[in-house]
Amino acid sequence: MRKSRALASVMVLAVSAAALAACGGGNGNNNAGGASSPAASGAASAKPAKDPVTLTFVISNTEDTTAFTKIFDAYQQKTGNKVELQALPGGDYDNLIKTRFSTQDFPDLFLMQPGTKQYVKLRADETLHEWSNEAGVWDNVIDSIKQAQVQDDKIYGVPYGSTGMMGVFYNKDVFAKAGVNPPTNYADLVEIAKKIKAAGVTPFYEGVKDAWPPQVFYYTGWVTQVDPAIGDEGVAKLNSNALKLSDIPELKDLFVKQKELKALGLYQDNVMSGTYDEMQNEFGEGKVGMTFMLDGIISQLEKKFGKDFVAKSVGFFPFPSATDTGTAMITPPNQLMVPDKAKHAAEAIELVKFMLQPENVDLFYANKPGIPIFKGATSELYPVQEDVKKYIDEGKSKVNIQNRLTPSFVDFSKTLQNFFLDGNIDKAIKEFSDNYQKDGKAKVLAGF
Amino acid sequence: MERRKYPLYFSFPALSVFLLFFIAPTLIGVYYSFTDWNVNADSIRFIGLDNYKALFGEPRLGKALSNTLIFAAAVTLLQNAVGLGLALLMNEAIRMRNLFRTIFFMPYVIAPIVIGYVFRAIYHPEHGIVNEALGWIGLGSLGQDWLNDPKWALFSIILTDIWRVAGFAMVVYLAGLQFIPKDLTESASIDGASYWRRFRHIVFPLLAASFTVNVLLSVIGSMKVFEMVMVLTDGGPGYTTEVFYTYIRSTFSMGQMGYSTAINLVLFVLVTVVGVPVLMALKKREVEM
Repeated sequence: MRKSRALASVMVLAVSAAALAACGGGNGNNNAGGASSPAASGAASAKPAKDPVTLTFVISNTEDTTAFTKIFDAYQQKTGNKVELQALPGGDYDNLIKTRFSTQDFPDLFLMQPGTKQYVKLRADETLHEWSNEAGVWDNVIDSIKQAQVQDDKIYGVPYGSTGMMGVFYNKDVFAKAGVNPPTNYADLVEIAKKIKAAGVTPFYEGVKDAWPPQVFYYTGWVTQVDPAIGDEGVAKLNSNALKLSDIPELKDLFVKQKELKALGLYQDNVMSGTYDEMQNEFGEGKVGMTFMLDGIISQLEKKFGKDFVAKSVGFFPFPSATDTGTAMITPPNQLMVPDKAKHAAEAIELVKFMLQPENVDLFYANKPGIPIFKGATSELYPVQEDVKKYIDEGKSKVNIQNRLTPSFVDFSKTLQNFFLDGNIDKAIKEFSDNYQKDGKAKVLAGF
Repeated sequence: MERRKYPLYFSFPALSVFLLFFIAPTLIGVYYSFTDWNVNADSIRFIGLDNYKALFGEPRLGKALSNTLIFAAAVTLLQNAVGLGLALLMNEAIRMRNLFRTIFFMPYVIAPIVIGYVFRAIYHPEHGIVNEALGWIGLGSLGQDWLNDPKWALFSIILTDIWRVAGFAMVVYLAGLQFIPKDLTESASIDGASYWRRFRHIVFPLLAASFTVNVLLSVIGSMKVFEMVMVLTDGGPGYTTEVFYTYIRSTFSMGQMGYSTAINLVLFVLVTVVGVPVLMALKKREVEM
């Protein structure tokens, strides 16, 4: 009896400890205490701190953190200040950041998606540090990149990283096995997929369970077939609610195309339970030929399968149009933001300046190669990135529509999960359109 | 002897804390549900019933309502059935009883989020234990995509939650069972009453107080389900496992505070409408010992 009681007590303790360990962690210094003034932001460069502090840096878990960690190590060596990295789930990143803002639980520094639309989302004029006149920040940033950050002469985010891309990533080994080459138009893409299937490999993988990956199909398809149809004027109309998403036939056609891929059995089995993580594994192991994806996959594949695999076996092509290879979709770099009321706002501003120093920019690109956004910076690009650069150099690229619209495609991932289930095109595009308008209204934008 | 009563003002400190931190925010919440409070707007305007009109015209509400009620009914029923069964078993003189009691109670100690992540792996259609086990016993054809097939997703969440909370119900019933005088059941046994008759006519009526507590806590707790749904399906696929709190979270994250508060108020009314009659009905059948 005594023995079983003792065993029972030990088990309760063990389970409690495991549960607590799983739930806790990583919230050491992120409470917003008394706000230190960012007035000290004029500090020229990072110097050893008298009383070292621990800064919190929040990032989406879809981002590879290796490059940041290297810079933070260098920063710690130089100043004594430590940077604690908190990776939040990518699918909920916006919500989590907004929730932390609304509860005044500000991180010291965080990485946000690109575009001035984030200013609206975070009520930047009330919450974020303004960078336009900050010394030591803009000296090396390529001007067009800087200009993309300006809204009403204010800048609330410092671009950091590379010009990103979304499109079709393909496994060159699988293509060789199936005896196919990158497509010359959309019909060709479908034929290639059929050949890959015939060779015993899954042609496309979609991470429907994770909800966000299926959206990539639409964003890459948008620049190829929606932009040429509606032009910049159409985008302006969408921004002012003078045009409805559901009234764009070329957009509706993307739903038709995705449905067709599913109907032809070109996605993996159990498509509803597909995840981003499993997709990387299957792609790397040669069990999947292609995936509509963003460039975050490059660093993930590098981590799992090595640089050699990425260099030799990963290729890229844009969403093809009916007549040609299509337009490459690019994304501006993410942006670093510092909340004015962060506990260590002054140190966070100093950290951003440290990150922008040429040697640290080079350190970043050495660990996360990409198309640089800083003058004088060099980065060794993978062939897959060179593929995109060619499109950019030829003027056959366009910025992601999400970065050109102020309202967001709210719950689009949910709409697409439903669409994968019921295949109802009219219902899906109506819901997509209605939710876009609802978000415009929720953000109190003119015209909505 | 006359029972001494303490003066009423002794309750004032506790009452004032309750009023300040519970009643006042609730009343303020009721007011905000009639406003257009939005994090992106500079001012908050009273808009009457507009939030409620929009809400009742929204198909997502119907889905959230039906899923919440199905979840609450299933969890309440099965949690109590399983909990009571375990309590009766664990009240018998069996070997390593305390160890089993601990094992059955363990899931309740673990955070729902941790359980959710573990069960995501268990339910995986290709690598999960459930489908693997079905395959081993030759029933592979019964394997499902448990969390991503709308036919099974809510059912899988319900099963997981019952696994989590049945141990808690067991502990409450066990406490109730300890208070039942042994001589009552023993004399019934001498009189020739079967186990079932003793349970039906002596044990179960005397467990009424535990039953009330368990059922009420189950009803209220399960109507407010959030973490388990969020981790296992996030209300998906699509909106198929949407419950009130996942819907509230979604609108809250869009910054629509007034609208979110209106949904919360609808849930509050629903919990009251279901909870109060349940409480009154169960209180009636409680037996004084």
